[in-house]
Amino acid sequence: MLVQLIANGLANACLTALMATGFALIYNTTRIFHLAHGSVYVVAAYAYYAAAQYLHWPQFVAVTFAVAVGTFVGCAIELLAYSPLYRKQASTTIYLLTSFGLYIALINTVALLFGNEVRVFPTTQQSAVSLGPVLLTGIQLLEVATSIVVLAPLMILLRKSNWGRLIRAVRDNPTLASTTGVNLASVRRFVFAAGSALAGVAAVLAVLDVGADPQSGLPVLLIAIVAVIVGGIGSFGGPILGSMIVALLQSIAIWQISPKWSQAITFGILILFMIFRPTGLLGIRRRIEEVIE
Amino acid sequence: MTYVWHLGVMVSLYIAVALSLNLVIGESGLLSVCQAAFYGIGAYASTLLVMKAHWSFGASIIGTLVFASLSAICIGLPSLRLRGDYFVLATLGFQIILYSVLYNWADLTNGPNGIPGIPPPRVFGIELASPYRYCTASFAMAAVIGGFTLVIVRSPFGRLMQAVRDNEVAAASLGKNWLLVRLTAFAIGAGLTAVAGAFYAGYARYIDPTSFTVMESIFMVSIVVVGGAGNFRGPAVGAVVLVLLPEGLRFLQIPEAIAANLRQVVYGMALVLFMLFRPKGIAGKYGFD
Amino acid sequence: MDNAPLRCVGLTKSFGGHRVIDDLTVSFEPGKVTAIVGPNGAGKSTLFHLMTGFLRPDKGDIWKGRRRINGLRPFIVARMGIGRLFQDVRIFERLTLLENVLVGFPNQSGENPVWPFLLPHVVRRQEAAHLAAAERWLDLVGLGGRSSGSAEELSFGQRKLLAIARLLALGSEALLLDEPTSGVGRGMIDSLVALMKKLAREGRTVAVIEHNMSVVADCSDVMYFMDAGRVAAFGVPSEVLGNRSIRATYLGL
Repeated sequence: MLVQLIANGLANACLTALMATGFALIYNTTRIFHLAHGSVYVVAAYAYYAAAQYLHWPQFVAVTFAVAVGTFVGCAIELLAYSPLYRKQASTTIYLLTSFGLYIALINTVALLFGNEVRVFPTTQQSAVSLGPVLLTGIQLLEVATSIVVLAPLMILLRKSNWGRLIRAVRDNPTLASTTGVNLASVRRFVFAAGSALAGVAAVLAVLDVGADPQSGLPVLLIAIVAVIVGGIGSFGGPILGSMIVALLQSIAIWQISPKWSQAITFGILILFMIFRPTGLLGIRRRIEEVIE
Repeated sequence: MTYVWHLGVMVSLYIAVALSLNLVIGESGLLSVCQAAFYGIGAYASTLLVMKAHWSFGASIIGTLVFASLSAICIGLPSLRLRGDYFVLATLGFQIILYSVLYNWADLTNGPNGIPGIPPPRVFGIELASPYRYCTASFAMAAVIGGFTLVIVRSPFGRLMQAVRDNEVAAASLGKNWLLVRLTAFAIGAGLTAVAGAFYAGYARYIDPTSFTVMESIFMVSIVVVGGAGNFRGPAVGAVVLVLLPEGLRFLQIPEAIAANLRQVVYGMALVLFMLFRPKGIAGKYGFD
Repeated sequence: MDNAPLRCVGLTKSFGGHRVIDDLTVSFEPGKVTAIVGPNGAGKSTLFHLMTGFLRPDKGDIWKGRRRINGLRPFIVARMGIGRLFQDVRIFERLTLLENVLVGFPNQSGENPVWPFLLPHVVRRQEAAHLAAAERWLDLVGLGGRSSGSAEELSFGQRKLLAIARLLALGSEALLLDEPTSGVGRGMIDSLVALMKKLAREGRTVAVIEHNMSVVADCSDVMYFMDAGRVAAFGVPSEVLGNRSIRATYLGL
């Protein structure tokens, strides 16, 4: 029973890892707490649903469309909302309130267009595979496979490529980076695009698994944020580790206590980490300005 | 006419919430998104005290005040030490945990079924059975809470809250225990909102967890932000505008199904636009910088 | 006043591998103005951070008389009678000048939210007394006459004066002043020098970080020359400033 729970948790962990990595990419580099990331997820989910269900586009096109829409929305938010705030040197509170506002406006716009009910694809044959004592559906295997295929190269790129080095430089010290000629605006746009694309991928997988729900953005994002904090702020690999741990803890909680308390327990863990180990398990990087106070 | 009294009650309740939340968001500069949790604690605590423990309404108000303030102290002690984003996240976490408790601890709260049949409160011997009476009582409650917050803000403690908001390091260097100041503001804000929650329960005669969600917390924050934070006028104006405007939409014959979503879109966009162009809100003093 | 000397013994503090304070031993006596000078990055402000509890030393101790104060939280250190002027000033931007100074007064009954409700007349009386005193402090630093203006509108030098007025309201036995005269106009500098000497004569402990050598020569009784986290020289100003190697390295003479 526990093993099955863990296996289910693993599939969820992969979705969380995609969202968490996207969120962390944005937060580490820009220090913006991009709560509207949850609405990017929802918009991409419905883009996929509409493309596949209403427009009957082939799978590949629909998926690409959804990821593109997600990326577009994320970049639009950065361009139209966050950039002006950056120029005004707005406080974190203002960014947060703006992000909340965007989230609410976007998910309710989606609900206006598609309705508040959860939209699921008409049930197609769900193939299930047994690996030892565990039964996994085709979708769950797809989730695991996709996240590996997407995240592994990303991690390598972040560590080895030029872009990766630029991003890490901005993460560590944006002022220094900009004086050495790094174009902060392009780096910002890039991480928003990449992060939003990851949300798009997660959204498509989730729609295939459980359907599209306009209210799902915040819960999914919050679990991702827990993963980021547990795994380590400032680290790019941390969110992946965090996702695994959160999924594991949730499985244990479901097994030992009860599914209905799993959300409360997850947030309890978040709060404990924020109090006792705010930099998470892998993260240590903090900007110089943050050390003195 | 009943409709007017109904609006009067809703506006009064939200004015009370806005003024108490302003102590936290505006005067102390803390973005708390768990105010609906305290509203809910107020509603449930007073209802349970009246219906299960057979306390009078007045006594239940005091009990609610104390219980909510203590909860706020428990929540605030670990959270108020945290930096900006983390504090907001912590309050979000508590909001979700509290909703979970209201929803899942069915033995105490009746879970998703809610508590029906709440009796109308008896205040000074008068039973608040009619909408007119309730409107008058709520208005009086809002006035009392308003007066209370006014005295606090104008006192040296109010000045201290603002000083800690503006520069907690400087405040510490002057010997001020800024953590205690924030905790006190947080607890007072929670207690007063809980009182409003108690009045809500007595009015609605039925409460369930769905009235006390994250979205409701964000709505309460929007009232203070759009109306304006850091003074008396702002939050009051915010409550009036954000409660009455959607009612105004009703006259446009918009079907109920889309009205709710449309309202949220408007709130969301209002939040964004005000943050981008007018962070002090309609009539506020503090711009969250 | 019952004022005890401030002593730092063997202080060491590093940031990211870099030693900012290196086995530093300094003391500040009551009734004297002790100046601390040195090049940028010598660790002077960091010393004040350590002494006021904003930073913890890696090694060493800080004493006020017989009490060890390293590791105490900043507001507790302040309550023990150690007041501080920050180099980057730190006023309360959105409060008025008067309110800024009013916050400084210690032991205000009205700062406990219970008393304005239960004993309003007591609170009001105390406020009135503080109001009068605050106006006096503002006059002393030359900011009188604009007390109800917003602090946001002040220039850097004026903010510095406001912070000094606030510190005077606090009335602490020990005052750690980080560059009190930088940004301040010529006329006010002389007043500040006179003020510092007066505070010392009252028996207070005055420590001053300064870059303005004439101020140092004028008001300090003893001075430390710090470089790279250590004491390079100590003594009366004429000795230290007359020291040939100090003059060469720091003053470029």
